[in-house]
Amino acid sequence: MSKPNDLVQGTLDLLLLKILGLEPLHGWAISLRLRSISGDVLQVSEGSLYPALHKLEQEGWITAEWKQTENNRRAKFYSITRLGKRQLEAEAANWRRLSAAISQVIQISEA
Amino acid sequence: MEHWWYTLPLRLKSILRGRRVEQELDEELQFHLEHKIEEGVASGLSPKQARYAAMRAMDGLEQQKEQIRDTRRIHWLTDFVDDVRYAIRSLRHTAGLTAFVAITLALGIGMTAGTFSMVDALIFRPYPVSQPDDVVTLVSTTQDSSFDQLSYREYLDIRDKTNSYQGVIANAAMEAVGFSAEPGATPRIKGGMMVSGNYFRVLGVEPRIGRGFREDEDQVPGRDAVVVLGPNFWKHEFASDPAVLGRTVRLNGKEFTVIGVAPETFPGMLIFGHPDFYMPLAMARVFSTNTQKNFFEDRDDRELAVRGRLKPGTTLQQAQNEIAVLAQNFEHEYPKLNRGRGAAVHTQFEMRTRGDDVNWKFGVIFVTLGLAVLLVACTNVAGLLLSRARSRKREIAVRLAIGAGRFRLVRLLLTESLILASLGGLLGVAVGYGVVAWFQSQQNVVFMTDLPLAIPFRMDTRVLIASLALSLLSALACGLVPALQSSRTDLVNGLKSADVDLPGRKRLWGRNVLVVAQVSTSLMLLTAAFLMVRGFQHSMLDGTGFAKDHLLMTGFDPRLMQYNPAQTKQFYKLLAERIREAPGVRSETLTQNVPLGTDDFDLDSVAFVPNGFQMPRDRESYTSPMNTVDEGYFETMGISILRGRGFRDSDSSEAPRVAVVNEQFAKHYWPGDDAVGKHIRLENSAGTPVEIVGVAQTIKFQNTFEKPMDLVYMPLAQHPVARMVLLLRSDGDPLQLVQSVKDVVRTLDANMPMLHTMTYEDYYLNKAVKGPGIAVNLVATMGAVGMVLAIAGLYGVVAYNVSRRTREIGIRMALGATSSDVLRLVMGKGLLLVAIGAAVGIVMGFGVEQLMNSMLFNAGGIDVIAYIVVVPSLFVVTMLAAYVPARRALRIAPTQALRYE
Repeated sequence: MSKPNDLVQGTLDLLLLKILGLEPLHGWAISLRLRSISGDVLQVSEGSLYPALHKLEQEGWITAEWKQTENNRRAKFYSITRLGKRQLEAEAANWRRLSAAISQVIQISEA
Repeated sequence: MEHWWYTLPLRLKSILRGRRVEQELDEELQFHLEHKIEEGVASGLSPKQARYAAMRAMDGLEQQKEQIRDTRRIHWLTDFVDDVRYAIRSLRHTAGLTAFVAITLALGIGMTAGTFSMVDALIFRPYPVSQPDDVVTLVSTTQDSSFDQLSYREYLDIRDKTNSYQGVIANAAMEAVGFSAEPGATPRIKGGMMVSGNYFRVLGVEPRIGRGFREDEDQVPGRDAVVVLGPNFWKHEFASDPAVLGRTVRLNGKEFTVIGVAPETFPGMLIFGHPDFYMPLAMARVFSTNTQKNFFEDRDDRELAVRGRLKPGTTLQQAQNEIAVLAQNFEHEYPKLNRGRGAAVHTQFEMRTRGDDVNWKFGVIFVTLGLAVLLVACTNVAGLLLSRARSRKREIAVRLAIGAGRFRLVRLLLTESLILASLGGLLGVAVGYGVVAWFQSQQNVVFMTDLPLAIPFRMDTRVLIASLALSLLSALACGLVPALQSSRTDLVNGLKSADVDLPGRKRLWGRNVLVVAQVSTSLMLLTAAFLMVRGFQHSMLDGTGFAKDHLLMTGFDPRLMQYNPAQTKQFYKLLAERIREAPGVRSETLTQNVPLGTDDFDLDSVAFVPNGFQMPRDRESYTSPMNTVDEGYFETMGISILRGRGFRDSDSSEAPRVAVVNEQFAKHYWPGDDAVGKHIRLENSAGTPVEIVGVAQTIKFQNTFEKPMDLVYMPLAQHPVARMVLLLRSDGDPLQLVQSVKDVVRTLDANMPMLHTMTYEDYYLNKAVKGPGIAVNLVATMGAVGMVLAIAGLYGVVAYNVSRRTREIGIRMALGATSSDVLRLVMGKGLLLVAIGAAVGIVMGFGVEQLMNSMLFNAGGIDVIAYIVVVPSLFVVTMLAAYVPARRALRIAPTQALRYE
């Protein structure tokens, strides 16, 4: 059932933390940002965006605040916490290790 | 930790402001959705299409929300809240049943909590000092008694020659002390306790104000007249005035300086008594009650309770070994006084559960009975819940069918019984408070004394926790089995009919056990109640052997006014002479103790050797209780002299010594022979000879439950005692003589206090009727509650069982069974169960009777009446319970019965 461009398990968290690490955003903006940075390679279903955000919030990695948007509407803005930054570093390091290892494996098999 | 800083507010918000959280979620998703739609419209879709596409992209709003809710991690709580809500709703539907169950549990838990507060106070409550576990009690032991106290000399030796303790302390019994704050005031009776100089320091009690005793204040007899006040006394007598320090008060007429006040946290080391003040042991001459002995010198004047605080790391066994060696040394050094005398160290628990102490036995018996009531209550509730669960079978089957997990269902059902138990527990604590309040209200009946004694039963934290634990336990006990059973429902059958009996014996077996348990436990309770009540009645019917009416009693203690023995003698002589002349006085007497006027601790005794008796090798003398009376006693109290004579004026201090013994004593030492004319020697075979001149009728002397016991009477003239009670026999109302007595006393000494002035009849009623009545009432109440609960439960279970067989009865009738066949069938089963229960109950009843007989009083044998009354009534109830629904089943037409659900 898995599509080839399905997000690797857990990477959505990493992406979200990374995006929010840059600036506080509301859900819609996050989904736009996701689309724009990852292009068509990584498709994030909008259905899994909010559960993921809420999970990160419950973990204490991001925190939410109701603010006005540019066009004067109320929206829930998420921003990263200190705890989240630490988590981001850890996950990013993890990811680098993993991807390095995998590309190594791939190179071996190609050689 | 930082994690919680972010997440805790979120969780709390989810729990406390659930609606708000939901709204925000809604708003957030809506916001997203609107943008998405705008985006779709912008790319050329119609608004409707755009909306549809947006919804699809989001995988459905409601699913989203549900998924998000799951991230909140308060599942367990919301589920529980749902369960509670549901349970409350379903319990409210059956409000009558709920109330019945809650009240039933409340009675059980309340009775247990109330009685547990007793045991807590009597056994478990630690000393109110720092590190109470280190404090141990040292006792002297002989062949006859394992818990003798120690003398002052022995205390000093133990204090100075042991290494196991951080300190060894001693105190005398709390005793009546004449207290006056001002020089001229008439002394009032207060409770004072003599303690060693290191008492407060070793116990780790810091005075509220001022200081405790110094060690040097306990070294020179009579030098340091200082006093430390108890917290309550300070509050009531001196209105908590700190200026009391340095004040002079008079204790037994001697001036003492107040040096400190004990803290509120230290009401004293006794279970019942809270001393009003403490004096150093070195002031013993002011307070000593025993004129025959020298407190500071006599090694056999054993009046002190001795305690030690163990050094850290020292075991009880080490302390034990050490004291045993010391006791052997005593025996070598003082062979005459310490022959066969050992010593032992005991913990507080050991002291409070010792064999000769009735307090804790009462407690244990009451708690046992309380638990029995709880057991009956629990079986009752279990039976009801079982029936309830079965009639909800269809509901449960539906739940299972639409996908409820079994665990989830058991949880729901257990939540219901938890709510029931909490209700029962809360009410039960209220009942417990009621029981304790009732005990407290009996205070004046229990303690007819001027001393500061109080019933120590309280619903403290420990008791509350225990009650709570009991409620939870009973919830589990009552609820688990029905819950497990009903969740094991066979779906197909369960959905088809509301209440069918599945083949299989196991299920019925459980209910049968309930019936048997109920019958037997309630029978045991009733047996205990009957034994108490009838033992009490017996003791009333037996009579006491003395007159109670037309008697006025009032006590005197000339020591309170610092009288010496000669003054005391003169005072009593004049008092008797003058009151005799007063109008309305038919006769008068002075006695050391009125009948039923002694407790264990102030029972006087005499050591003696019957003349010519060869004493066993290991024994120097026998002892017997003793009372000191004057010439008018036997006549005034209406006690007949069976042989010989009573006392006369001629039995003066110069005349040869004489005694009167009771019939029990005469039979004991000279069976089949006349005791009159025989001699006993005091202390040992070389002691003063005393001639027995009369044999008096045996009376109840300490309490109305007692077995006949030995008693020796000594004439006051030959055996002077300071504290005496004046008894007057009146023509009319005894209280009219009070003024005459006051007038006479005023001519002798205006300041002499009159203690305990009341009619003897009042005293007797309190002491012999109302006092024991407390225990009798309590046990009778528990018996009655147990009986009512058992009957209700029995009726419920049996009736329910029969009504469930309505269809079966219909079939039987359709097949030609007669009504008597059917009645026999349904009743036979119930009666068999009751019979088994009764058999078990009778055995348990025997056990409890044995226990009560051996522990409290020898009411003797087994009370058959209890069984004759109780067993048949249980049978009648069972028959009725089976008969009523059976008759209803018989009345309906077979066709209808077959269609019955």
